[in-house]
Amino acid sequence: MSLRVLNPNAEVLNKSAALHMNINAAKGLQDVLKTNLGPKGTIKMLVGGAGDIKLTKDGNTLLKEMQIQNPTAIMIARTAVAQDDISGDGTTSTVLFIGELMKQSERYIDEGMHPRVLVDGFEIAKKATLQFIEKFKTPVVMGSEPDKEILRMVARTTVRTKLHEALADQLTDIVVNAVLCIRKPEEPIDLFMVEIMHMRHKFDADTRLVEGLVLDHGSRHPDMKRRAENCYILTSNVSLEYEKSEVNSGFFYSNAEQREAMVLAERRQVDERVRKIIELKNKVCSGNDNNFVVINQKGIDPPSLDLLARAGIIALRRAKRRNMERLVLACGGEAVNSVDDLTPDCLGWAGLVYEHVLGEEKYTFVEEVKNPHSCTILIKGPNDHTIAQIKDAVRDGLRAVKNTIEDEAVILGAGAFEVAARQYLVNEVKKTVQGRAQLGVEAFADALLVVPKTLAENAGLDTQDVIISLKGEHERGNVVGLNHNTGEPIDPQMEGIFDNYSVKWQIINSGPVITSQLLLVDEVIRAGRNMRKPT
Amino acid sequence: MREIVTLQVGGFANFVGSHFWNFQNELLELAEDPEADPVFKNQDLNMDVFYRYGETYQGTPTYTPRLLSIGLQGSLGSMSSCGTLYNEGSSASSSVMTWNGNVSTQASEPHKKNLFLQSLYAEEQENDIQREITDRDIVQCLENDVQCWTDFSKSHYHPQSLYELSGMWVDAQKFDNYGIGRDSFCGGLHGEEISERLRFFVEECDHIQGFQFIVDDSGGFSPLAVDFLESIADEYTNVPVLLYAARGPGSLMDPLSQKHRISRKLHDAVSFSRLSSLCNLIVPVGLPSLSRSKASNFLCIKDEKPYHCSAAYAATLHSVSMPFRMELLGPSANSSYACGALTVNEAVQMLSGQARQNMVTILDAAMPAPSLTGNQVKQTLLGSLQPLTPEISDHVEDLQSVASMTVHGVLGSGGQRASISEVKDMVHSAYEHAITRPMFCHLSVAQCPLPIPLPFPSIFSNHVGQHGEVLGTPIIGSPSRGSLDVHTIPMAGRLRSSSAVLPFLENRLGDLRKFGFARGGVGAELLRSWGFAKDESEDMAETLSKMILELNPHSQMSSDSD
Repeated sequence: MSLRVLNPNAEVLNKSAALHMNINAAKGLQDVLKTNLGPKGTIKMLVGGAGDIKLTKDGNTLLKEMQIQNPTAIMIARTAVAQDDISGDGTTSTVLFIGELMKQSERYIDEGMHPRVLVDGFEIAKKATLQFIEKFKTPVVMGSEPDKEILRMVARTTVRTKLHEALADQLTDIVVNAVLCIRKPEEPIDLFMVEIMHMRHKFDADTRLVEGLVLDHGSRHPDMKRRAENCYILTSNVSLEYEKSEVNSGFFYSNAEQREAMVLAERRQVDERVRKIIELKNKVCSGNDNNFVVINQKGIDPPSLDLLARAGIIALRRAKRRNMERLVLACGGEAVNSVDDLTPDCLGWAGLVYEHVLGEEKYTFVEEVKNPHSCTILIKGPNDHTIAQIKDAVRDGLRAVKNTIEDEAVILGAGAFEVAARQYLVNEVKKTVQGRAQLGVEAFADALLVVPKTLAENAGLDTQDVIISLKGEHERGNVVGLNHNTGEPIDPQMEGIFDNYSVKWQIINSGPVITSQLLLVDEVIRAGRNMRKPT
Repeated sequence: MREIVTLQVGGFANFVGSHFWNFQNELLELAEDPEADPVFKNQDLNMDVFYRYGETYQGTPTYTPRLLSIGLQGSLGSMSSCGTLYNEGSSASSSVMTWNGNVSTQASEPHKKNLFLQSLYAEEQENDIQREITDRDIVQCLENDVQCWTDFSKSHYHPQSLYELSGMWVDAQKFDNYGIGRDSFCGGLHGEEISERLRFFVEECDHIQGFQFIVDDSGGFSPLAVDFLESIADEYTNVPVLLYAARGPGSLMDPLSQKHRISRKLHDAVSFSRLSSLCNLIVPVGLPSLSRSKASNFLCIKDEKPYHCSAAYAATLHSVSMPFRMELLGPSANSSYACGALTVNEAVQMLSGQARQNMVTILDAAMPAPSLTGNQVKQTLLGSLQPLTPEISDHVEDLQSVASMTVHGVLGSGGQRASISEVKDMVHSAYEHAITRPMFCHLSVAQCPLPIPLPFPSIFSNHVGQHGEVLGTPIIGSPSRGSLDVHTIPMAGRLRSSSAVLPFLENRLGDLRKFGFARGGVGAELLRSWGFAKDESEDMAETLSKMILELNPHSQMSSDSD
C-alpha cells in the first residue's frame, strides 16, 4: 500500500474490519449503558482510584465519568451528550438506539448487503418516523394556567427513573412548582432562575422548595443581625471597598504625607457611597421597625461593613452574578449599579431574612417574599455523592417540565411510542419503498424496539414474551406500554406515563445520522498508535 | 489583609504549584518547630496572604491554601478531589439511599500510595505499629517514580480547591492544541462550577490584592485559561492578575511531523496573544532544556522529568512572591528580617506601566544565590541571575528596563546570614558597577532562606553545601544532592521588563504570519478549525506587533504589513 511507503507506522483497517470495529464499539457502549434505563434499572456506584464515590443512574453523567478511549465510542458519546445539552434527557436512549441500529445493520451487512442501501433505508424511515411522531403526540394546551396534572406526570416519569418512588414523588411537586413559579407569559423559560442549593445533613435526604432565595454566604461582620423580619432588600452592584485605582499606584508618591492624603481621598469616596445607602435606610426605616439588607455583587471591605453594621444594616458581599437577577425576580425592586440615584422604588421586600451556619459554611435565607418569580430548590443529603445524584435528578425534572410547556405536547411512555412507530413503519411505510431499501426500513423499525426490550430486560422479564404481547395489542389497535412490575401491557395514558416530545424527536433525529456515518466508513487509517490494542 | 488567590490550570502548572505549596507548608512547620533555625521564627511574612482559616464539619480548625487547581480527570492520582481534611468516614456511605433497585458498583483499582504519602498518612494517624520508612527510601522512591503532582505534595487542600475536568475523552498527550480545549470552559457546567469555586475564595477576602495565575499554556488548557480569565476580568474588574505561563519539558520536545510542528507554533502564538490580552502581567516560564541552560549551573536536572523542572520554577515563584506578603511598614520603620514589601498591583504597575507599556516580563533566578564573601562577588550576584524565560536575547543594552528583585537568605562572610542592610548595600553597589544598568530596580530582601522540604527532588549538584553555600571543591559521592543533604538555600529571583524579550515576541508574530496567513496553507485551515476567523487572526497579529513596537520602535516586523 502506498501509505506504508509514506509512513511505515501507519496502520490501515480495510472496509470490513473498520466496519466491525465501529459496530463493536457501539455495542460495547450500549452494553455499559443498557442497565441504566427505566425505573427498574441499576444504579451505578463508581469508586475512583482515590476512593471518590460517584453515584449515577444518568447516562449523561456516566458517559462523562468514563474515560473513553475508542474513537468510535467517543463519537457516539459526543452525540449522546449533545442530546442532553439540547433536550435535557435521553442520553441513554440515544446510545441504545445507535447501538441497536448498528447491531441490526451488522446482520444485513454480514449477509452481503451494502451499507449504502441500509443508510438510504434509514433516511426514509427516519423521515417517516418524524412524521409519525407528529400524529402520535398528545397535544397539551398550555394557555395561561397550565394543566398541573400533566406536568406532574411528565416530571414523575423522568424523576422516577433516577430516584426511588418516595423521593421521586416528593421531588415531582417541587420541580413543577419551581418551573411554574419562574414562568412568565410570552417568554421562554429560563431555568437558571431556579437556584439549586445544597446542604449537608447527617442522616436525612430531604428536598424542599424555598419561595425566595438561598445564598451560600452570610454577612461578614460580627455585629450584624443573624435574623431579621420585614426587610427591605437592596440589590446592588457597587464597589464598597477601597481599590487602588490604576493611576494612583503607590509608586509615584514623593513622600509619605502625599500617599496618606491620596489614600484618605479614595477612602472618602467609598465612605460617601456607604453613606448614601445608610441615608436611604434611614428614610425608609424611620418610624417603623423594618430592617434593611444590602446584597452586593462587588466587594465590601471591613471599614464599610463597620459603617453599615453601626447603622443596623445587614450586608452581604460578592453575591453570585445570577443572584442579582434572581433577587429582583424574587423580592421585587431593581438591581442598582450606582448609589447616586437611590430611591425607595429600587428596594425589594422579604418578610424574613436569616442566616444558617454549618461548619465553615454559611447560608442566608431570603424568604416570605411577595409574588416570587424566582425560587430555590434546597437539597439536603448525607454526603456529596447523594447530593450530586439528587441534583442531577432535579435538573432532569426541571428540563422535563420546561420541555412540556414549550412543546405543548407529550408522548406516551413505557415503550408505547416505540412499538407504535415500529408498527407504522412495517405496515405502512415499508410497502411504499422500492427495492432493498425496504430492509433498511425494517432494520430501523426493529431497532426502535430496543427501548421496550431493555425496559423488560431490566425488570427481569422475558423479553420475547413482552415484545410479542405488546406487538399483539398494537395490531389490535390498542396503544399500550409495558408494565414493568407485571410484564403485562398497560395504557400509559391511564398510568400517567409520559415522555417529552422534544426528547424523543431528538433521539430519532440524531441517532440515524451518526449511525450512517459510522456505517459508511471505508477505511480507517491511523498513524502511530495500535488500534487493535485493547483499551 | 491583602489576600492573594492562587489559580493553577493544567498539568505542569499543578506540578509547579505542588512544589510551591510544599515550600509554604515547610515554612509554616518550621515556624512552629522549637528546634528549627531561629531565622524561620521571625520571618515577617504574613502567610494569611496565601492561606485561609476554615473549619471542618466536626469543628476542627483548618488552614489551607486559597487555591483553585484545575486538571484533567485522573490527574489527581491517589488524592481524593475532596482533599484530605474534610472527609468524614468515607466507608460509612456505602449504602445507597436514593434507589431501591439494583446497585452495581464499579470500583477502579485503588491507586497505590507511594512511600512518601504512606509516611504522611501514618504520621497523621500516629500509628504505633508504624512501619519503618526512612527518609532515604522516600527520596529514592520519589526520584524514581512520580506520576502525578499529588505524589509529592505534602499540603492539605480545601475540598473546593481541586477541580477535575470530566467528560473530555482525550488522554493528556493529545490535549495539546488550542482547538481541542476550546469549549472546555463553556461546555457542560464546567465554567459555571469553576467560577463558583473561585467566588467561594474571593468572597471571604476582605481586601484581595490580586490573583496569582499559573497556567500550563502548552496545550488545551490555554483556551480554558483564556475563557476563565475573561470571566475573571468581567467579575473582578480591578483585581490585578499576575500570570505565569509555565511549560513543562514534554511540551518542548521536537514534534514528529511538519503538520504537527505548524500546529505547535501556531498554538504558541495564538495562546500567548490571547492570554496576554487578558492579564496585567504575563511571565513566560519554562526553558526548552533547563539542564543545559546557565540557570542550572549548580543544579543537576533531568529535563524529561516534570518533577525536577517544576521544582526550580516553583522555587523562583516563591522568591518573587515574597514581597507580596511582607508586612507593609511605614517608611521610617525598619525590620531586621525583611524589607521591600510590594502589593501585586504595585509590582504590576512598576513593571508594566513605567517608561513603556510592556507587560511581558522575564523571570530570572539565581539558585542558589552566591554568598557575600570576597570582592568579586559584586559581579556574581547579578551574573548568577539567569533567565527561566525562553527565547530571549542574552546581551541587550536596554536603558529603559525595569526590574523587581527579591533576594532572601543570602549568606554573608563566615557563613552567617547577611543582614538586610548588607544585602541592600551589596546589590546597590553591584548595580553601580554593572555595565548595563536598568532604569529602575526595586529590591526586596528577607533573611529567611528557601527551606528544602523532604519531597523536593535531588537536583542540586555536588557543589552545593548544606546551607546552599557554593563549595570550591565538589563533595565526593553522588553527583546530585537533595533534601537530605541540602536543608536551605539562599535564593534570588527577579522579574525584569526588558527589550531582551523581543525575540520571544518576534518568533510568535513571525510564526503566526508565516503559517497562519499563507493562503490555502495548512496553518490557515488550522486556525479556522480552532474557531478564529481571518480578522480575528489579524487582530492577534496586531496585538503582538504592538507589543514589539512598544519595545523596539524601529522594528522591521511591525512595518511588515500584509
